[in-house]
Amino acid sequence: MGYLHDTHMSQYIPPTAFHCVTGTYTDAAGAVSGTIAKHRAAAASTGVINIPIILPSNSIDLKGAYLKSVEVDYECLLAAATSITATMNKITRGADGSVAVVAAVTVTQDLTAATDAADEDQHKLTVTLTTPVWIDNDVEYLLVITAVCGGTVTIDLLGAVANFTLRS
Amino acid sequence: MGSIHDTHMSQYIPPTLFHCVTGTWTIAAGQVAGTICKHVAATDEASVITIPILLHSNSSALKGSHLVSIEIDFEILVAACDALAAVVNKVTRGADGAVAVVAAQTFTYDAGHDTASERIDVDQHKMTLTLSTPIWIDNDEYILVEITADKAATTTMDMLGAVANYTLRL
Repeated sequence: MGYLHDTHMSQYIPPTAFHCVTGTYTDAAGAVSGTIAKHRAAAASTGVINIPIILPSNSIDLKGAYLKSVEVDYECLLAAATSITATMNKITRGADGSVAVVAAVTVTQDLTAATDAADEDQHKLTVTLTTPVWIDNDVEYLLVITAVCGGTVTIDLLGAVANFTLRS
Repeated sequence: MGSIHDTHMSQYIPPTLFHCVTGTWTIAAGQVAGTICKHVAATDEASVITIPILLHSNSSALKGSHLVSIEIDFEILVAACDALAAVVNKVTRGADGAVAVVAAQTFTYDAGHDTASERIDVDQHKMTLTLSTPIWIDNDEYILVEITADKAATTTMDMLGAVANYTLRL
């Protein structure tokens, strides 16, 4: 039996997999013809976008997917947002009859929340886990984007890419 | 270190991940009990269904997923479409501050869908799109299959899912 250890793996996560609350979100064509987006209409409120990290997990320690970073592609249109902030949650699934347990994961983002990440432009926001994680089969990860919006800005969420090591 | 080179890999893509615009789309039961679909109601309009191809990518050349073909399962109900065509787009993601770049890929339809009339009739469809040049998917790229279905006034459609066929090399 072979042994696999590839540090260059990535997984595209389409906007149709995103979980978007607070605001009016619709599937729409992206600003570039041929692309797709989850579009948030203008509203002075704080939108919350949960991005499920769709990677294989493994019940054996130190095997499966080792999540290192997530890149999020989006566009702020018509105006700047007030801020775009990324956080991450680790969800430990509940046993039957039990609730899940949520724990914050420490991450850093490469674009400053209130300026570079929020201006009217195309964005590629890289969110890096301070301590990468092996994903257990009883755990799932959600990247949370909190978009504080004024009354004019609209947002096109284009997709995300999770970067990981695969070991099996 | 071992290696994997498997030419028989496939990935199911459920209809819940399909991106559907123009038309009234709902999540519904399929025609066959126990199946699921995205259903578009009858209206004379051109609906666009974009299917994100969910495969692993890899930043190393000639590694990861080598996409060969995509099969799309759908059903045209009540009346034939006026037209139906597919496009396979490779999207190269933009750097921060830059737009993405879209490049259409050359492909062929299967023998049952390589004429316009074969793609629009009232029937169950398994339409296979085979890339003329299979693609190694880089970590800065993803693939979208876009189907434009020009429906007649009474046409409804059930999108059942898709399967991407690829070689996995790690």
